Amino acid sequence: MTERARVLAWRLAILLVLVAAWEWLTGIKAIARTPGLYWIDPFFISRPSAIARRFAYLASGNARLTLWQMALSTIQSTLWGFLVGVSTGFAAGLVLGRHDRLARIFDPYIVAFNSLPRIALVPLITMIFGFGLLAKIVLAWTIVFFIVFFNTFQGARSVDADLIHSARFLGGSDRQIMRTVIVPSALAWTFAALTPSISFALIGVVVGEFLGGESGGGLGYLIIQSLGTLNAADMMVALISLGVIGIVMALGIKQLERRLLRWRPEYRGRA
Amino acid sequence: MPARRTRIVLRDLAKTFRDGNRAVAAVEDVSFEIFDREFVAIVGPSGCGKSTILNMLGGLVTPSAGRVEIDDVGVTGAVPAKVGYVFQKDTVLPWRTVARNIAVGLEYRGVPRPERERRVRDAIALAGLGGFEEAFPATLSGGMRQRVALMRTLVVEPEILLMDEPFGALDTHTKINLHAELLALWQARHPTVVFVTHDLSEAITLADRIVVMTRRPGRVKLVHEVKLARPRDVIKLRETDEYGHEYGRLWHVLGEELAAPA
Ligand SMILES: Nc1ncnc2c1ncn2[C@@H]1O[C@H](COP(=O)(O)OP(=O)(O)OP(=O)(O)O)[C@@H](O)[C@H]1O
Ligand SMILES: [Mg+2]
Repeated sequence: MTERARVLAWRLAILLVLVAAWEWLTGIKAIARTPGLYWIDPFFISRPSAIARRFAYLASGNARLTLWQMALSTIQSTLWGFLVGVSTGFAAGLVLGRHDRLARIFDPYIVAFNSLPRIALVPLITMIFGFGLLAKIVLAWTIVFFIVFFNTFQGARSVDADLIHSARFLGGSDRQIMRTVIVPSALAWTFAALTPSISFALIGVVVGEFLGGESGGGLGYLIIQSLGTLNAADMMVALISLGVIGIVMALGIKQLERRLLRWRPEYRGRA
Repeated sequence: MPARRTRIVLRDLAKTFRDGNRAVAAVEDVSFEIFDREFVAIVGPSGCGKSTILNMLGGLVTPSAGRVEIDDVGVTGAVPAKVGYVFQKDTVLPWRTVARNIAVGLEYRGVPRPERERRVRDAIALAGLGGFEEAFPATLSGGMRQRVALMRTLVVEPEILLMDEPFGALDTHTKINLHAELLALWQARHPTVVFVTHDLSEAITLADRIVVMTRRPGRVKLVHEVKLARPRDVIKLRETDEYGHEYGRLWHVLGEELAAPA
C-alpha cells in the first residue's frame, strides 16, 4: 500500500467509526437519561440516518427552498465577497505599500476600522444594503479586504530594494517595475492571506444570512430556521454542507497558488 | 595612440553615513578618472567603501561631498542611462525562468520579440546555460545564477558596466571560467568597466588599471597600471613572471592595509 492510500484508508476508517458511534449511541435511550450526557440525544445532535433523510428531502425538488439553491446562494456570495475583497485589498496594499506618505496618512483609519468587530457591522450593513445578496457580499468584503490588504502591504514593503534597483538599471520604468518586480514579489505574501480569506468570507456570508431571512437564502438561513423549529437534522445538513464548501474552496486556492507560485522552491517538481 | 576620452570622473568624493547620532565615514577624498573602454578594478579591505563608490557612480547613493560625472554630466540621484550594474547580491528575479530573466531588460526597452529571443539564445549559449532556459533560479547553482545575472546585464549592451564583486561567492574554477567569458565579451564590445573585488588575482587578470583603497574611511592609496598584454589567457597568465611581479607588488601595498592595526 502506498503512503497516500494508507493515509486515505485511515481517514475513511475514522469517519466510519465516528458515524457508526454517533448512530449507535443516539439510539440508546439510557445514555440521554444519564446526568451530563443528556445531549447525546437525537433531539440535540440528530442521527446520521435522520440527517441523510433530511438531506435527501432538502436536496429534492419537494422542499420550498432546496439545499442546492441555498448552497448556491452561499457559494455565490462568498466568491463575490472574496473576489471583490481580494482585488481591492491587493490594489490598496500595493499602492499604500509603495507610497510611504499615503501609508502614514491612512494608518490610523485602517487600524481603527480593522479593530472594529465586523459582526457589529451586520445590522448597519443590513440597514443599508437590505437582506439580499449584496449585504452578504459587503460583509464578506469588509473582512477579506483587510486580511489581503495587510499582507499585500507588508509584501509590497518588503520587496528587496536591490531587485528594484537592478531592474531600474536594466531600463525598467516605474510601471514596468511594478508589474515585473513588485507585484510578483508581493503576490507570495498575498497568497498566504487567501486561505484564511476564503474561510473568513464564508463566515461573513453565513453571519449575514443569519440575519438576512429567506430573501437572502443561503445555508446560514437554514441554520437559523432550524434553530427556530428545533430541527437538529436540518442544522447538521447545513453544517456539513458548509464544511464541504469550505474544503473545496480551500483546495481550489491551493491549486491556484501552486500554479502561480511554481517558481518557489517548495513547489518545485510539483507543477 | 590618440588621447583617450575620459568617461567617468570622480572628484573629491566623500560619503558619511548618518544613522541617528552615529556617523560612519565610508569614503573620503576619492578622486580618479576612468577612460572610455577602460577596465578598472577597485580593490580594498572589506568595509572600505567599494560598494559605496559604485553606488555613487550608479546614482543610488548621494555623495556627502564631491562629484561624479559620467560623460561630463553630473550623476544626481537618478540612475544614469547606458549604465549596467551587476550587484554584489543575487538579484535575479526568482519568479522568472532563466530565459525570461535574461530577457527582462530587453522587454523593458521594447526590443521586438524575435530579436529578443535571438539575443537571449545567444547569451544563454555564451554563458553555457543551454538546457536550463525554462529552469527557475531556485533550481540553479550559485554560479549559474551569477551567470544569469551577468548575462541579463550584458544582453542590453550597456556602455558602462558597474560590477560589485560579481564572482565573490564562487569557487575558483567557476570564477576563472567567468573571467574568460567576461574578457571575451569585453574584447568584443569594449564597454567601460568598473569592477569591485577584494580578490587581487581577479583584479590583475581582468583590469587595465587597479585602484587600491585604504581601510575605512576609504581613500585612494594607489592607482596601478597593469602591464599585461591583451588578449589575456586567464589560465596561462597566472603562470607568467609578469603576473607574479604585479601580484607581488600589489600584495605588498594591499597587505599594509590588511595588516595595519584598526
Ligand atoms: N546604507 C548604509 N547606512 C549606513 N552605513 C553604511 C551604509 N552602507 C554602507 N555603510 C557603511 O559604509 C562602510 C563601507 O561600506 P561598503 O559596503 O561600501 O563596503 P565595501 O568596501 O563594499 O565592503 P565589502 O567588501 O565587505 O562589500 C561600512 O562601514 C558600512 O558599514
Ligand atoms: Mg561591497
